[in-house]
This record gives sequence, structure tokens and C-alpha cells, in this order.
Amino acid sequence: MLPASSWPLRRRPLLALPALPALFAASWGAAHADSPDDQLLIGMSMNNLLSLDPAAATGLDAVTVACNLYDSLLEVDAAEATKLRPSLAQSWTVGEGGRRITLKLRSDARFASGRPLTALHAAWSLQRVLKLNLALASVWKSYGFTAANAATHIRTEDAETLVLDLPQATDPTLVLMTLATSMTGYVIDRDTVLAHEQRGDLGNAWLTTHAAGSGAFELEEWRPKELLTMRRAAHHWQPAAKLRRVVFRHMTESQTLRLMLMRGDLDVAGGMSAPDVRALAKQPDLVVEEVRRATMYYVAVNARHPRFADERVRRAVLRHLIDFQGVASGVLPFYGELQMRPVPPGLPASLPQPGYRFDPSSARRLLAEAGLADGFDTTIRVVAEAPFTGIATSLQATLAQGGIRASILPGTGNQVYGSMRERTFEIIVGRGGGGAEAHPHSGLRALVYNPDNRDSARLSNFQGWRTGYADAALNRLIEQALLTPEAAAQADLYREAQQRFDTRVGAIQPIAQMLDTQVLRRAVKGYRGHPSGATRLREVYKEGRRS
Amino acid sequence: MSTSTLSAAPTGAWQAWCADAAATARKLLANPLTAIGVAVIAVLVAVALFAPWIATHDPLRQDLFAALQPPGAAHWFGTDEFGRDVFSRLVHGTRITLFIVTLVTVVVGPLGMAVGVVSGYFGGKVDTLCMRVADVFLSFPSLVLALAFVAALGPGLDHAVLAIALTAWPPIARLARAEAMTLRQADFIVSAQLQGASHLRVLWRHLAPLCLPSVLVRLTMNMASVVLTAAGLGFLGLGAQPPLPEWGSMISEGRRYMLDSWWTVAAPGAAILAVSMAFNLLGDGLNDALDPRQSS
Amino acid sequence: MNLKWIRGGSSAGLALLGLLLLTFMIGRVMPLDPVLAIVGPDADRATYEQVYQQLGLDRPLWVQFGRYLGDLAQGDLGGSLLTGLPVTQDLARVLPATLELATLAILLGALLGVPLGVWAASHHKRWPDHVARVLGLVGHSTPIFWFGMMGLLVFYAWLGWAGGIGRIGLGFEGAVPRVSGLMLVDTLLAGDTAAFRSALRHLLLPACVLGLHSMAYLSRMTRSFMLAQLTQEYITTARVKGLSRRQVVWGHAFLNIRVQLLTILALAYGGLLEGAVLVETVFGWPGFGSYLTGSLLLGDMNAVMGSVLVIGLLFVALNLTADALYRVFDPRARS
Repeated sequence: MLPASSWPLRRRPLLALPALPALFAASWGAAHADSPDDQLLIGMSMNNLLSLDPAAATGLDAVTVACNLYDSLLEVDAAEATKLRPSLAQSWTVGEGGRRITLKLRSDARFASGRPLTALHAAWSLQRVLKLNLALASVWKSYGFTAANAATHIRTEDAETLVLDLPQATDPTLVLMTLATSMTGYVIDRDTVLAHEQRGDLGNAWLTTHAAGSGAFELEEWRPKELLTMRRAAHHWQPAAKLRRVVFRHMTESQTLRLMLMRGDLDVAGGMSAPDVRALAKQPDLVVEEVRRATMYYVAVNARHPRFADERVRRAVLRHLIDFQGVASGVLPFYGELQMRPVPPGLPASLPQPGYRFDPSSARRLLAEAGLADGFDTTIRVVAEAPFTGIATSLQATLAQGGIRASILPGTGNQVYGSMRERTFEIIVGRGGGGAEAHPHSGLRALVYNPDNRDSARLSNFQGWRTGYADAALNRLIEQALLTPEAAAQADLYREAQQRFDTRVGAIQPIAQMLDTQVLRRAVKGYRGHPSGATRLREVYKEGRRS
Repeated sequence: MSTSTLSAAPTGAWQAWCADAAATARKLLANPLTAIGVAVIAVLVAVALFAPWIATHDPLRQDLFAALQPPGAAHWFGTDEFGRDVFSRLVHGTRITLFIVTLVTVVVGPLGMAVGVVSGYFGGKVDTLCMRVADVFLSFPSLVLALAFVAALGPGLDHAVLAIALTAWPPIARLARAEAMTLRQADFIVSAQLQGASHLRVLWRHLAPLCLPSVLVRLTMNMASVVLTAAGLGFLGLGAQPPLPEWGSMISEGRRYMLDSWWTVAAPGAAILAVSMAFNLLGDGLNDALDPRQSS
Repeated sequence: MNLKWIRGGSSAGLALLGLLLLTFMIGRVMPLDPVLAIVGPDADRATYEQVYQQLGLDRPLWVQFGRYLGDLAQGDLGGSLLTGLPVTQDLARVLPATLELATLAILLGALLGVPLGVWAASHHKRWPDHVARVLGLVGHSTPIFWFGMMGLLVFYAWLGWAGGIGRIGLGFEGAVPRVSGLMLVDTLLAGDTAAFRSALRHLLLPACVLGLHSMAYLSRMTRSFMLAQLTQEYITTARVKGLSRRQVVWGHAFLNIRVQLLTILALAYGGLLEGAVLVETVFGWPGFGSYLTGSLLLGDMNAVMGSVLVIGLLFVALNLTADALYRVFDPRARS
């Protein structure tokens, strides 16, 4: 190189150039950005985290975060999904023939602002859900609540008593479960929110990016699709959270999550692909946690399509031409657990798996009876990600063995579910359904129930309507079971409904119950994945220093 | 009959052009780097033409049991997550790459030249209008604009080609315009006009052929960036859709398995690198060969 | 001089308007539905209609565009349809991240590329020239996203030298108050050296990857500018006069290409914004490129239009700067 002394003066600053690798080396030699003991670092996809407003947010990502900022009146036990535990409400009773729920709140709960939490706030929060009338209000509307009757049917009797008068007959346990699992059940600090109200939006704009709750953590900073940080709440009515701070980082790439976990730059990572989880499971300092979620993977056909209107064709496709075992062992690991009934296991009304098998000869016989001995051409719409594509690929191969030539049409969620909402698809591999309530009704309602099959009804939030199949008797069974107060009789009716679903082939066939797979560093203790996605972090702590 | 083009005097514009081209080609190939570039492109074209015979497997056939196999005897470059043979997908991908490059060049070349030559020849309002439109497209990074177009039209190979073409014509137009503007005052143009040649005739028979060489060089130099832009779009999921074996989308899909199955990403990446380099080398060589200042 | 500025400015303004119109059209043609993104796939029809009207999507196209332009005149870029935050706020958050990355990248590219180009030109047609050309070509031909992925794999996963995803280690996120938006500056201002080191480790790799591209471009251009100079008579005169090769190359020829280099640098900076889109995707860098791509893929029209405007302005500014620099520094161009 040219000796520096001969360089013209103006180029002398270039002498700084060698400093660059020195800087690099220095920063490398420095201590790693250790994940400190009192901070939990979580990597997850925040693509669906668009709002923190409990009345407006949709998607599972929002619940994961918001459940730590807010409290509900009740909670569902992480291990036993049917068990309700008190939270802000100490106790509750059901009266008036199952039409009135009275909840008694604790007196010592406070919001992050320091304000005491009373039944007034709880009532206002619920009424707000109905007044804003966004996506999450639909479940309350299905119970008969509206913006008009919210003030009278959701009311306080005193500072510690909240009364819900159910406008129409339904199963009160279901309503309690909704209170416990839905974001709409979070109690919001009314006064703080109304202070930031703009143009009568009940604080919707402000709550999109802020929080006013009573949870174990307070919101520190949120940069959409990038980062969200929470810190331990100053006053919490339960023992203070053990962690000082929680950092959620937006990461969609499974390999990136894996790399950062391996390097110790992350403590918890979710949503990774199966091969990555499998590779990480082998590491001694990492633990894999799988939690069943309420959503189900399914294969559905459009019963309004002339070919699939024939029950024999549906039976051939949905019962005999899906390789359930092959998909379960080859495609599903870490994504889902094989599940062939719309009611998940673990409930009193649950039935064992029906034992459908891949049986191309029976399928061919049925198709021949339906006059399609030469098979036919069709399309499978599928979201272009794992495991949907794996299921679709397997389906394509097994359909071919039945003589059905299917081409796969991958697309985005918008395109695929859009065609489903318009009822213009033929076969679809999708995921959806199941409300978070551990009650047979939520799964049946979302997946099977179809009270009005006409195009004009546009019940696009029911998979039953989307797939175009309506069974009046099944609908009646579902409605009846919901209103049966006696537990044993209710369970019998749900079992009957499932058996009817079994014999009368509908248009949708569940394949798997979704698994939420998280990989944690072994040093993270007290982390319990929750089936509704509400994984509360107040019990979590990290032990020891990373060596 | 003499075989040397130098000894016989050219008998027309076309023959002169051919003699020129032959001399340029010789100069080109004299440079080893350019020769390598030409060779690689020749290989690319050959592979694309004979893809079905060169590929060892069907690029679309899935075999879930042989997913993510490392390179070996059965699969020279291994398999991807669906069990498809990477080598065969690479080979068939040359067709897609060539398709994109050719289509973009075929659209951009005539379009850009037409706009530029017309703009430079007529000047005035026509010029202002055309250049304003070109400015709109130029005041934006081409990948981002292509991204916007494809996002609007929907992902797909044809839409990606269209989007790239829409962003690639302005520089060609500007170049052709600059050339036309210098040449329109030339004597032979004026004499042709005086002889009663219509504008169309002047443009087509006189101006355009003279602007052609620099436009061709520019087009060749652009081909490399077309390959990279197309791969970038494929990487973002907006180009050729699965299961088409486009190299950029192969990298995007293989990225999810990169840590354990490096071949899913290394092979398409190396292919893009090689082809892009080859076009760059050729473009560079053409530039050097045709630039009078660089002759030593 | 003034008239030229005005004319230049107005043509730039027209170009921007055309760009906005183009983007607006694109935004309306998009098959993506921002309403669906907000309400989720399981919402019922009434909710959908409600949000649709709230967003003003039921008005005719021209009314929407007119309203947008009107807001623009008041400095309001609208709100991101998805986050509800003002687009100006979003942009103020993401632009510094990209600027930090691009600036370091161009510095690296210039510091490596310019000397390389000079070296290649001064040894024209001999092996240094070929080596430099190949290096430059490799840099120019490598798909930048692939290179970034390889870099992450080697330098982060295997060697642990570079930082991982993001601008700073997760443990330091939010620990340093945001003053300028440039992580290196902010951590220094806060006096937090551990955070500074973490930020540097995270910045170096993506900057190197981006810088490689501009290095290739800059070395090619420097080489061709230098070649144009070195074949001129005054160079031969200088050699004949007895000046050493070094002095001739750096003291004479290089000084004459400074102007062109500056303009090329300005243009290269703009070109980096293109590469930034891909690099930010690979490195999870929360900058302008990620923001634009994300908004495009979700159909968030206000965010896309705001981003288009900003990037158009940046490009126009860079072009005008390049023009101005040329006119200021090159006496031959002033007339």
C-alpha cells in the first residue's frame, strides 16, 4: 500500500479505515447481548397483531400479548380447559333459569393507573364491545346482546357486582367461558380511555396502540410488526410478576428464530417449522412445548357445486380418499394432532376417533354409483404455507388413486378464504373454526352449524355456510343441546349430534387440531402454554446465568 | 470467392453492418473474460433448449418420502422439501430465466427505441411529454416499482415480466433519444428529408439502425439486472408461482430449510450468480469493444 | 440559474404528481383487501361494511385522490389503514433505520470500491485490472438476498461474529432513548457502550452486504472514469515531466474525476434503496424497505402512497443534488 506520508492531506482521513476491523473485533470481544435474567425475550410472528384494543383486535397474536396487559373476570385453567377459575371475579352464580349470571368482583384490584377496578369498568368494557361492533362482537351478538340492549342487560348492582341478563336462552357455561377466554372479556380502565377519546370512538384509536388494563405487565412500547415491550406493573392485585421486562420481537422466518434460539439471543420462540423444531428438540438446553389450540385443520368441499352435492361423492372424497394416518405421521408433527371430529377430545361430550381410513376401492365404488366411474377433474385451494401444502399434496395423490384428478391452487389467505366466502371453490384445505371456549358448541357452531344456506344469508363467519351444506336436524340438535340445562342430558345431545355428523356426510372434514408449538430455553421456568393463546407470563422466571 | 470481409468492398448498408458486427465479435472474443461470458450464455441457451433431455427427473414430480435429501448419486443436487429433484428444477429454471430475459428485452427494446427515437427526432411537445412519462418511471427504484406493479396485478410470472419491462424501458428511451437528437441534424438525414422521405421512412430506415448498436449494448447490460430483479421478485413471492422452478422463488422456499439443507439454496443462488455474471461480462465486453476510447 | 432551478423543480414536481397518480391507480387495482386484514377472516358482513365505510373506500376514485392531495398539501399523509398510526409517524420511525444502513453501506462501498477502480484503471489490461473487474462483477451479479442469507449463516450462525436479526440485541431494545433514530448515535448519546457495541454488531453485516453491491458499481464507474482520464495527453505530459506514477494517478487524474464520482455516489445512494428492500427482508431490519414491502403485500394504500412519495422525493433530491454538484464543481458546466 502507499505509505501514508505521501498521501495528499485530503486523503489522510482514510487512515481511519483500519479502525473498522478493529472496531468489529472489539465489539465481537465484548459480552454477548446476553438475555438478562429478569427479561424474557420472545420471538413470534406479529403479522396479525394490528391492534391492542380488546374490542377490535383479531387473531391469536393479539391475545398472546394482551392477556398480560389486561385481566378478565374469570380465567380458564391451562391444564384443564373445562375448569373455570376466579380472576377479577371472586365468585359467580347462575340464576333465573339460566338467564342471569351474577359475578362478584374483588375489591382490591387496581388498574395500572392506580385507579380501583370496579364493576362499572367491567360493565363499560363489555358494553363498549357491542357499541363498537367490530369482529369480536359477533360472539356476543350470537348470545343476543346488541348495542341497544347492552346498557340494560349488562349492568352493575353495586361497585362489586356485575349482572348479565342473557337476552336469549343459551348455555350460561358457554357465556362464562367466553368471558374467560375472549379478549372482549378484558376489563379496561374506562376513565383513562375516555380521556383519550376522539370523535366518539370510545377510545378505539388510542387503544389500538396503548393499553389501560390491570394486568401483571404494563405496555412500554409498541412498534407495529417490529417490537413490543412490556414492563412489570407497579401495582398488581396479585403477587408481582417475577420478570421485570418482556420483549416480543417480530420474526416470521423459522430459520431465524432457530438461529437466535441456538445462539441464546432468544428465550422463547413460536411458530417454527417442523424440521426446525425437530432439530432444536435435540439440543439439551432447549425444551419443546406443544399446546392444543381450538382451531382445526380441515378439508372441505363445496356442497353447492353440482358434483359435490351428491352425498356419495362427498363420502368418497372426505371419508375414503384422505390418508389420515399418512398425513398424521408425515405432515402434521408439531403442527397439529389428528382429529376427525368437530368436537375436540377432553370434553364430557367427546367421542373417540371414528377410524376413517384411506380406502380407494370403497371410494371408487361410491363414485361409480354416483355415475362418475371415470373420475373427474377438480381443484384444491390452499394457503401456500406448511402444513396446508403438505396436506394438499397428500390429498392430491390420494384423490388420484380414486380416479379424481385434482390440481392444487395455492394462494394467500385472502384469496383462499375469499373464494370460500364467495362459495366459488371446489375443494379447500383450510384452518379455522373452534372458538376458544372449551364447549362443544363453539366447535360445532363454527364448523358445522348452518341455519340458513341461501346465498343471500352471507353467514360468512360459519364454515358450515361457506361449505354450503345444511342439515336441519343437525342444526336443531345443536340448538337444543345448547339450551339443555342438565349436564348429562346436554352431553348426550352433543354425542348424538356428532354421530349424526358421522353418518350424514357434511361438506367439511376436520383433520387435525392445531398445535401451538413453542421452543423454550431450559432456563425459562413457569411457562404454561394456554389453549386459548392467553399464555400469562406472571409466573415465569429465568433461572441462573447463561454459561 | 474471398473469405475475408475486409478485402471485398461492402455493397450495401446491410453488408457493411454485417462486416462491422463480425469485426466487433472478433474483438469481443479476444477478451478472455467476455469469451467466458459468451460461453456461459451459450450453455444457458443450450440447457434451456434441451432441458427435458438434460434433466434427470420431472421437475414438478413430488416424492414426500425423499424430501430434503443431500446431493448424491440419485439426485445430483439433492431434493427440496417436496422431494423434487433440485438439478432438474435448476435445468428447467433456465427456460424460465431465458423466457423472462427474452420477453423483457423484446418488449423493452422496440418500445424504448420507438419512444426515444420519436421523442428525439420530433422534439418539442412530443419530446416533453414522452420524457415526462419516462421521468415518472425513472424517479423510482426499479425493483420497488416492479414490486408495486406485481402487487397490484397479482403474483405470477407474466405479471412479473410485465412489471420489469415497464420499469426497464425509460433508460433505453433516454439513450435512443440522446442518439436521435445528435443525429437528426446530420446531413444525410436532411438530404433524405429533402428528397421527400416521410418521417416514418427517415425514422425506420435511417435513424433507428444507427441508434441500434448502443441500444443493443445497453439492453445486454440490462439483462443481468433483469435476471436479478426477477429473482428478487421471486424471492419476495411475487414472481413465478409454485410449482414453477424459478430460481428466486426456489431460494425463497429453500430458505426455510437452509440450515440443514444448504443445497436447496446454494444451487439456485449459484445459478443466478453465474447467469448474471455472464450477461454482465458480455455487456462489459460489448461496451469495451464498441467504445472507441478504450481501444489500445 | 434561478430559472433552471425553477424549471428543474417544476418538472420534478410534475414527475412526483404523476408518480402519485400511478401509485394511486395501482393501489385501487390491487386484489388485496385492507378491510379484510383489519376485521379478520371470520367477521360478518355488517362489520365488514362498517369498516369499509369508515375507511372512506366507498367514495369514487377521483374523490379519494382529490382528498388525498388536499391532505397532502397540509402535510398529512393519512393514517396507515392497519395500524391506525399516522403514516408520517411510521415513516419518521423507519426512515432513519434505512438511512443508517445505507450511509454505512455507501461509505464501505466507496472506501473499497473507489481505490479498487483506480487501481484497476492504472493497471489497465493487466492482471490487477482483470481481478478488480471480476470482483466488481461478482459483487454486481450476486443476488443480494442470497448473499445476505449466506452472510447470516456464516458470520452469525457458525462464527457468532455478527449480530442476528434486528438493529440491536433484544435485551437492549427500548433501553436507549430514541433521539435521532440512528442507533449508533443514540447509544453513544446515552453513553451505553454495551448497547453501542451491540448496535454495531448488528449493523455491520447488512451494511457490508449492501455495500458490496455499491462497491461493485462504484469500482466499475471509477475505473471507466479513470481510464478516460489516463488516456489523455496531460497524463503523458505529467509522466514525461518526471512525476511518479502514484502522483500522476492520485494527484492529477483522480482529482479530475472527483466531480463525476460525487454525482455517481449520489445516484448510487438512491440505488441502495432498491437493495435495501431485499436486505431488510433477510435481516429483519425494521426500515423503510420492510415497511414498503409489508404495506404493499397487505394493501395498506395510505402507507404505500406515503412511502412512494418519500422515495420519489429522495430520488428527485438525489438527482438534483447530483446535477447541482456537477454544476458547482465543474467549471466547464457553468454557462
